[in-house]
Amino acid sequence: MKALFHFFTSVRLAIVLLIIIIIASVLGTLIPQGRSAEEYLVRYGQLGGILERLRFTRLYQSFWYISLLASLGLNIVVCTLTRLTPKIRRGFRPLVEADPKNIQALKIKERFRLTVEPGAAKEAVKKELARRRYRIKESTSEGRISLLARKRVFGWFGSDIVHMGLLVILTGGVVSGLFGLKQSLSFVENQTLPVLEANFSIRLDRFITEYYPNGSVRDWKSDLTVIEAGRPVRQKTIEVNHPLTHQGYVFYQSGYGWDWQNPTLQIWAKKSSDPSYLRKLSVKVGEKVALEEENLKVSAVRFLPDFVLDEKRQPGTRSLEPNNPAAFIEGWKGEERIFSGWIFARYPDFSRLHGAKEPDLSFELKDTKAPQYSVIQISKDPGVPFIWVGCSLLMAGLFLAFYWPTREVRLVIEESGGKSEVTAGGISAKSQEAFRQEFSDLMSAARKTT
Amino acid sequence: MSEATFFLLTFILYILAAVCYFVFLFSKKEGSAKAGFTLAFLGLLLHTLALILRTVESGHAPFTNMYESLSFLAWSSVLAYLIIEWKYRVRRAGAYFLLIVIAFMALASSPLMPKEAAPLVPALQSYWLWLHVSVTLIGEAFFAVAFITSIMYLRAEAREKRGRMSGTGPSAEKLDSISYLAVAVGFPLFTLGGLVFGMAWAYKAWGSYWSWDPKEVWSLITWFVFALYLHTRIVMGWKGRRSAVIAIIGFLAAMFTYFGVNYLLSSLHSYV
Repeated sequence: MKALFHFFTSVRLAIVLLIIIIIASVLGTLIPQGRSAEEYLVRYGQLGGILERLRFTRLYQSFWYISLLASLGLNIVVCTLTRLTPKIRRGFRPLVEADPKNIQALKIKERFRLTVEPGAAKEAVKKELARRRYRIKESTSEGRISLLARKRVFGWFGSDIVHMGLLVILTGGVVSGLFGLKQSLSFVENQTLPVLEANFSIRLDRFITEYYPNGSVRDWKSDLTVIEAGRPVRQKTIEVNHPLTHQGYVFYQSGYGWDWQNPTLQIWAKKSSDPSYLRKLSVKVGEKVALEEENLKVSAVRFLPDFVLDEKRQPGTRSLEPNNPAAFIEGWKGEERIFSGWIFARYPDFSRLHGAKEPDLSFELKDTKAPQYSVIQISKDPGVPFIWVGCSLLMAGLFLAFYWPTREVRLVIEESGGKSEVTAGGISAKSQEAFRQEFSDLMSAARKTT
Repeated sequence: MSEATFFLLTFILYILAAVCYFVFLFSKKEGSAKAGFTLAFLGLLLHTLALILRTVESGHAPFTNMYESLSFLAWSSVLAYLIIEWKYRVRRAGAYFLLIVIAFMALASSPLMPKEAAPLVPALQSYWLWLHVSVTLIGEAFFAVAFITSIMYLRAEAREKRGRMSGTGPSAEKLDSISYLAVAVGFPLFTLGGLVFGMAWAYKAWGSYWSWDPKEVWSLITWFVFALYLHTRIVMGWKGRRSAVIAIIGFLAAMFTYFGVNYLLSSLHSYV
């Protein structure tokens, strides 16, 4: 029972947990997360169902994975607390007196004789220690002088600060998970939408896409107005990496798109018999426009931004990007439909009009315009301050622990026949190599001074 | 001279440095190791110029595609190695370490890596790009040093076990402590650049500091592996073989985070 309790409060548990978390996390990245049951069935067959039941398909939100992280957190609390009190005592009220036998048991140690009496030996050693910026405490008892010299004592608490930081980060994660809000809104210009659980709404005044000379996107910018009780209170242009923060809500430019339900099409009509003939038509989907002198009306029935034929040879769109814009148009003379067919902006040669009773006329899809909408991600996450405080502690602790290593030298000076017997030992949890060097320099300097 | 010329000259210097270090392995003459160090240092200077030129030409940080970031990783690896060699005299590691550097340089110059400086996509237009990528890669460069010295440790240990002294090479014990030193320098940097700056930027750009994206999970895995290394070592007193194996796994995890996730897993983080 005691052994079990010991295990649960030990670093060994932390190590076991770390190994399990590492293995589980690796599996979680190999299995695609959050897909549909059908997809897992296709991918893994029978195994798919088992993986889903064990929550490997939503691992990072699963109870057991979060429990592992929580156990690690709990273990950190226990390990840090049980070590902290003795550590603080040792850090701030250390025992100065030492037994030469214990010093002899240290890894870094030396024993030598000085030809002066202990008082003088002590001063000589202290001078060398002070030169290397050690802070010295001393005590004398039973004719034995003990010195405790230390520097960078704060480095010693680095690991505790790291662990506190991790706990604050974990707390932040829990707060985010419980109270964080997320919402994604698609706006067209001049549209106002309410913000979830907030007493204000957001209006998109303008949305623009900026391009580089080579045609790739430079940035998306949305001019937003915050509206409280019907009155505009704030205005800001947001772009990727530059969100707007209002009352704890943060608004991110997260994407864009075109409202392909309402495009305006530029269609050119040409005649093979007359090269100078050109009529430019502007048509909205569902509208008819007249081609006057031909006594003809042209209508756009359907529009697809990224035309593709599916397995059943039915037209569809591959994406919402205007990669292959295509329009289905019809020509009407009175009540009679005289032709219909698809015309393509990128591939005019592929345009086919069926039942054409006007073979002289041809149509080209020159340009397509649709209202662009801006996708704005809204998040309100009260866990975030915890994360930044936790990260600051984490980094402060790591830099203290690794770049500010504590060094401790203990010396006992004993008298033997008017001369001094010095036993010295050093402790440094980290940077042993460098400390060994400093220790031996220190000792040889101490010997030389007398 | 253009950036490509400087890059090529750098590459040649690194190869020559590696040759010198290999000569040192066999001849055991200090002179060739010193020549290796000098050549690698000159290479580092030219490489720095190449990176500066790249920054000036492209107008953005020199690590926005695979070519650029590999070149930067090679640069930071040489920097990390030269610092460790200068402070702790592990000359025999030079030959092996420069092989990694040459591998990075060769990958960077392979025709598979597009080299044109493309304009920055919106998500990368942030000062966090500088902070996040450079600090992470410098941290990983120190993991690379630990990787090489750990492999050397395993060999030296096997040799010492068979009762042969390691000749002029560093003792197994020294290699073990240098691996630790490299991890001790790299770990805080990797934490700062990879995790902390990564979270800060993700929050700024995507609206959430952590989304369990494969790249994020893999950098967490890498971090956990090195946390394991440190705890088993500092608290439980593991040393030597077991420590070396964990350091090797840690570097491989870091490299998988860097390359593997991009090519094998689908990720939000698909820039580099």
